[in-house]
Amino acid sequence: FRLNIEGLLVYFPYDYIYPEQYSYMLELKRTLDAKVCYNPFIKLISSCMQYAYPLEVTKLVYCSRTVPEIEKVVEELRKLMDYYAKQTGVKNDFLALALSSRKNLCIHPEVSSLRFGKEVDGKCHSLTASYIRAQHHSNPSQPVCQFFEEFDAVGRQVPIPPGIYNLDDLKDFGRRKGWCPYFLARYAILHANIVVYSYHYLLDPKIADLVSKELAKKSVVVFDEAHNIDNVCIDSMSVNITRRTLDRCQTNVETLQNTISRIKETDAAKLREEYRRLVEGLKEANVARETDIYLSNPVLPDEILQEAVPGSIRTAEHFVGFIKRFLEYLKARLRIHHVVQESAPQFLKDIYEKVCIDRKPLRFCAERLRSLLRTLEIADIADFSAITLISHFATLVSTYSKGFTIIIEPFEDRTPTIANPVLHFSCMDPSIAIKPVFGRFQSVIITSGTLSPLDIYPRILDFRPVTMASFTMTLARTCLCPLIVGRGNDQVAMTSKFETREDFAVIRNYGNLLLEMSAIVPDGIVAFFTSYIYMENIVASWYEQGILENIQRNKLIFIETQDAAETSMALEKYQEACENGRGAILLSVARGKVSEGIDFVHHFGRAVIMFGVPYVYTQSRILKARLEYLRDQFQIRENDFLTFDAMRHAAQCVGRAIRGKTDYGLMIFADKRYARADKRGKLPRWIQEHLTDGSLNLTIDETVQLSKHFLRQMAQPFRREDQLGLSLLTLEQLQSEDMLQKIAQIAQQA
Amino acid sequence: MASLSEEVLLVVKRVRQRKQDGTLYLMAERIAWGPEGKDRFTVSHLYADIRCQKISPDGKAKIQLQLILHTGESTTFHFSNGSTALKDRDATKELLQQLLPKFKKKANKELEEKNRMLQEDPVLFQLYKDLVVSQVISAEEFWANRLSLNTVEHSLSNNSKQEVGISAAFLADIRPQTDGCNGLRYNLTSDIIESIFRTYPTVKQKYAENVPHNLTEKEFWTRFFQSHYFHRDRISTGQQDIFSECAKQDEKGLKSMVTQGVKNPMVDLLLLEDKTLDEGYGTATVPTTSNSSNKSLRENSNSAIIKRFNHHSAMVLAAGLRKADAPSDQASETSSTDGNSRDSDFFQLPLKKVKLQESIEYDDLQGDSGRKTIALNLKKSDRYSHGPIPLQSQHYTTSQDIINSISIIQHEMRNYKPRLTQVMSSNAASSAITALSPGGLLMQGGGQQTINQLVPTDVQIELKHLYTAAGELLRHFWSCFPVNTPFLEDKVKKCTFALIFTN
Repeated sequence: FRLNIEGLLVYFPYDYIYPEQYSYMLELKRTLDAKVCYNPFIKLISSCMQYAYPLEVTKLVYCSRTVPEIEKVVEELRKLMDYYAKQTGVKNDFLALALSSRKNLCIHPEVSSLRFGKEVDGKCHSLTASYIRAQHHSNPSQPVCQFFEEFDAVGRQVPIPPGIYNLDDLKDFGRRKGWCPYFLARYAILHANIVVYSYHYLLDPKIADLVSKELAKKSVVVFDEAHNIDNVCIDSMSVNITRRTLDRCQTNVETLQNTISRIKETDAAKLREEYRRLVEGLKEANVARETDIYLSNPVLPDEILQEAVPGSIRTAEHFVGFIKRFLEYLKARLRIHHVVQESAPQFLKDIYEKVCIDRKPLRFCAERLRSLLRTLEIADIADFSAITLISHFATLVSTYSKGFTIIIEPFEDRTPTIANPVLHFSCMDPSIAIKPVFGRFQSVIITSGTLSPLDIYPRILDFRPVTMASFTMTLARTCLCPLIVGRGNDQVAMTSKFETREDFAVIRNYGNLLLEMSAIVPDGIVAFFTSYIYMENIVASWYEQGILENIQRNKLIFIETQDAAETSMALEKYQEACENGRGAILLSVARGKVSEGIDFVHHFGRAVIMFGVPYVYTQSRILKARLEYLRDQFQIRENDFLTFDAMRHAAQCVGRAIRGKTDYGLMIFADKRYARADKRGKLPRWIQEHLTDGSLNLTIDETVQLSKHFLRQMAQPFRREDQLGLSLLTLEQLQSEDMLQKIAQIAQQA
Repeated sequence: MASLSEEVLLVVKRVRQRKQDGTLYLMAERIAWGPEGKDRFTVSHLYADIRCQKISPDGKAKIQLQLILHTGESTTFHFSNGSTALKDRDATKELLQQLLPKFKKKANKELEEKNRMLQEDPVLFQLYKDLVVSQVISAEEFWANRLSLNTVEHSLSNNSKQEVGISAAFLADIRPQTDGCNGLRYNLTSDIIESIFRTYPTVKQKYAENVPHNLTEKEFWTRFFQSHYFHRDRISTGQQDIFSECAKQDEKGLKSMVTQGVKNPMVDLLLLEDKTLDEGYGTATVPTTSNSSNKSLRENSNSAIIKRFNHHSAMVLAAGLRKADAPSDQASETSSTDGNSRDSDFFQLPLKKVKLQESIEYDDLQGDSGRKTIALNLKKSDRYSHGPIPLQSQHYTTSQDIINSISIIQHEMRNYKPRLTQVMSSNAASSAITALSPGGLLMQGGGQQTINQLVPTDVQIELKHLYTAAGELLRHFWSCFPVNTPFLEDKVKKCTFALIFTN
C-alpha cells in the first residue's frame, strides 16, 4: 500500500506493516541529508528505505557483507519495483544491480570453472589485460576472452536496459548478449540508480579506487550489517609480512630484473617512454585500464601525492635496486629474538639510518611498481602478490604517521620453539579507512540489528551522527526468551573465565546444559563457543565423559571445523536433519564464519546457546596496541571496548535465530558474567527488554523449566489476528492518531 | 527308513534331547535326532523350516544348541560328550551356519507370506477356514488369484511402511562391561549389527569378505571393537588392522562429499565472502603452512573426534534416507561428476531462486494470498445446480471407448477384493434397505432396531461368515468367465455345485 511519510509518498509492497518499520522510515525521512546511525531489528526495514527515495536521490549505494545478503537485498528490491510498477502502472526506467567479484560473475567456460577467486582473477587478467589484447591484434593466436571483446566492442554504447539485475540475471544477460557480465556490471554501476555490493568495494582503498572512484557525490551510502564495520576498515589497511613473503618477494625481484635486462636489449624504447612519463608526473593514461587488476594504491585518495615520482626510483633498474635494499632491510628486521613494537616514524628513522632510504621514494613505491609491472607486461599478476604487498607496506608506512603500529614477533606465542617471524603492520584506527566515505558522500547510513551500544560507533569511527536511533520490538507474544544460566545444578558457577574454563565441573555443567536442552527443544539447536580451541577441548572431554553419546540419543551432532568446505557440508546436513524431523545440534564458534553469515531461522534454530562470553584473545599484541590507541585517542577504556566487542559478537550469535515476529527462539547465555549490568547493558535493546530480573542467574534445572514453559506457549497456533493492531498494522490502523503516538516511542534517540 | 539313504553330512553322538541321550544327524536337507538304541528319528526338521540357531554362551556348564523354527517352536540339544562337547557343538554350529542360509533363500517365502496374510487379516482367516478347511475349494485355488493381487498390495504397503531410522547413539548403546578379569564385554544385538552395517557400509563389506572364511563372527567383532576405527580418538598407526582400510575409505567418502560441495548456495561458506583480502593483508594472523606438523598429538586427536562426529551424523542421516532417494541421489551424482561449472550452474539456478525467495518472504506481512486454493471451474453451472439429468443424445461413445471401459472393468473385477471391514455400518445399511423396500421411509420406525436384537449374535456371526464365503465363491465363479479352458469349465462346475450346496 501507499504510505505518506511527512509529505513523501512511499510504496510498501506488503499488505501489513510492522510499527518499527514505519518508525524507521520516519526517522530516515527526517534525517536524510546526513549521516545516520541506526539500530533496527530486522533487515527488511533497512531495505524499506530503498523505495522511499528512488526518485529524489540520484544514486543509492548499498553495502552488505556476504554474497547471499547481497542477493537477498536485490530480490527484495525486485519485489518492491514489481509492486511499484503495478501500483502506478508506469514502467519506470530504473536500474539496480549487484556487483560481485569475478568468481561470482564470470561466464567464460574455462575461467569460471576455477574454484578460487584468486585463480579466476589471474586467469581473467591473462585474457583481458590491455597489452594482451594489443598483442592479439598483431597475433590472432594469442587467446583472449571473447566475452570481454564483445563487451568492449558494443557493450559500452548500448546501455543495459532498465531493470533489477541480480548476479544470476547479469550472467544470463551476459550469456544472451555474449558480453562479460563482470565488466558490464562494473561499467553499469556508473549510471545505475541502485548499486548493491560488498563493503570492500567502498572501504578498501586498493579496490575502491578501481571500482567506486567515479560514483557520484550525491549518492546515499548504506552500510547494512554494520556492527563489524570497524574491523573491515582495519583489515583493509593492515599488512602482515612473514619470511615466506620475503622469500617470494626475492624471486619476484629476480624475475623483474631479468625481464628488465631482456627488454632493454629488445625494446629499450619502452622503458624510455615510461621514464619520460614519470618525469612529467603523468598518471598513466586511462586507456583500457579497467581490465588491469593491479591493486591500486593502498592509501586513501587524498593522501596520494600529486607530483612526479622522485628521481631516485625513476629508472627501472634503480627502482629494482631500491626494492632490493628495502627487502634486505626487512629481512634483517625479521632476524630478531624478541618482540619489537614501534611506531611508523620510528621505523622510518631506523630505515634511514640503516640503509639510507628516504621517506619520499617509499611513498611512491606502490605507484612506481604498478607502472613498472604494466610496462613490463607481466602476464600472471598473481605471482607478484608478494612484491605488491611489500610495496604497499612501504607506501602505507611512509604515508601515515599516526594510527598505525609495527609489531615484529619472532615466533607464535603458542609455539615459542619454532621460529616464525612476522611483521605486523597494523592499523588501529578504523576511522582512517571510512573517513573518505563520510567526506565524499551526501549521506551515510549505518545500520544493523545488533549495533549496541550505539554511542560507541561514532567514537571509534570518528564521525558526528545526525541521528542515532534504536528501535524496540513490538511483540504480540514474547517470541524470544533470553535466559542467563549462571550455575549448574550443583551450584558451581558456570563461566568461561580463563581461570576456570578448564575446570572439570564447568565443562560437565556445560555438557549437562546442552544435554538437557537437547531433550526438550524441538528441531535445531545451535551452540556457540568462545573460540575454536576451546570448543575442541570441550568436545574432547565431553566425548570422554560420555556426554556426547547421551546427546546423540536425542539429536544428531554436527560441528564446525576450520575447513570451510567441510563446515558447509556439516551445515547442509544439519539443515537436512532439522528438515526431516530428526533434529540436530550444531556446535559452532563465535566470530567464526557460521556466526557471521548463516541465519538459523524458524526450525533451524529453536534455541541458541552461548557458552561463555566471546572475548577476543586478549594476549595478542596487536589487540593490546589497539586498546592503548583507543584509550589515548578516543578515551575508551580497554575494558569497555573488550566488553563491547564481546557483547556484539554474543548478540550476533543469538540474533541469528530470530527473523520475524512469527519466528521464536530461546537465547541462552551460559555464563554468570552476563548477569552483570555492564554486560547486560550492552546487549541490543530488543533483547534487553525481554531479560527479566528473574532470569539472570538460573540453574540448569530452572532453565529447563522456563524453556519448557516458553516452548509450550510458542507451540500454540499464532494467527494474524493476534498480532494485528499490536505488532502488525494495516493501513487504517497506521493512520489512527494514538497509534502514531505509540510509534513515536519506538525509536529511542540515543 | 527311506531317509537313511540320504547323504549324512555329520553325525554327533551323545547329544541329549529332553533328557534322553541320542545321536544327532545332519543330512543334506534336514537335521534329525534319534534316541540311543533306536533306529528312528524322534526329531526331524527340514533346514527350510529352521529360522535360526542359538548357542549357549561360552563358559556355561551346559553346552547347548537351540533351533528355532518358523512356527515358533524350538528344540534344544545338549551336547554331553564330556571333553569334546564344545568341539562337537561348534562343528554342528558351523555346518548349520553354512547350510541354513542356502535353504533360507528358497525357504518357503510363499508359505510365510500366506501365513502372514492369514494372521493379519482375521476375515481372510475365517474365509480360509470356511472354504479350504471344509474343503469346498482347494487351497491352491483359494490362494491362486489372491497371492498375485496381494503381492502387489503387499509391496505397496511395504513401501508406505516407514523404515525405522537409526538411533544416532547406537554405538553408545553397546556398553562395554568389565568381566572382572581385565577384559571388556560388548553385547551386540542383531539390531545394533544392522545399524552398524547400514551406517557404515564399508564394515559390512569387510564382514562379507572375512566372515566366515578368515575370521569367525566373534573374532570379527572383537577386532572391530579393538580397532582404531571404533575408537576414533586414537590415532591409527598399525597397517595390519583390517579396519584401517575402512577408515581410509570413510575419509575418502568424506572428502568426496566435501568436494561435491553443497546444493544449497545459502549455506555454502565458500561463496559467502565476496572479496577476500589478499594474502598478507588484514590483522588476522596468517595460518602457517607448517600447522599440521607442529600440532600436538592431543590436538590431532581432538580434531579427529570432531571429524568423526560430523561423519557419523552424516552417515546416520544418510542411512535413514538412503532407501527413499536412492535414484535421485544417483541422478545428482552423475550430474555433478560430469559437472563442468556451466552445467552445475544451470542445475543450481532454480534451487537458488527458491531459497532466495524463501528468505525474503515474511508470511505475516503478506496478505492471505499465500494460501492458494484451486478454483472450482464449472463448465456448465446449471448442471451443477440442478444435479444430473439424462444425457442428451448428442454424446456418442465410440466403440473403442466401450472396449476400453470393458477391459478396465474386467481388470478391476480381477483385482476386486471385498473389503468387509470397510462396508457401511449395519444401521446405515438397514435404513437404506427400509428406505428402498415397499413402504419406504414410512416403515422405518419399526424396522430399525429389530435386526440387531432379534437375531442372536452367534447366528449373526454365522450369517456373516456364510455371506463372505458365498461372496468369495461367487467371485471365483465369475472370475472363471469367459470359460475357455477345460480346467476353468471344471472349476465353474465345482463352484456352481458348491454354491448350490451352500444355499
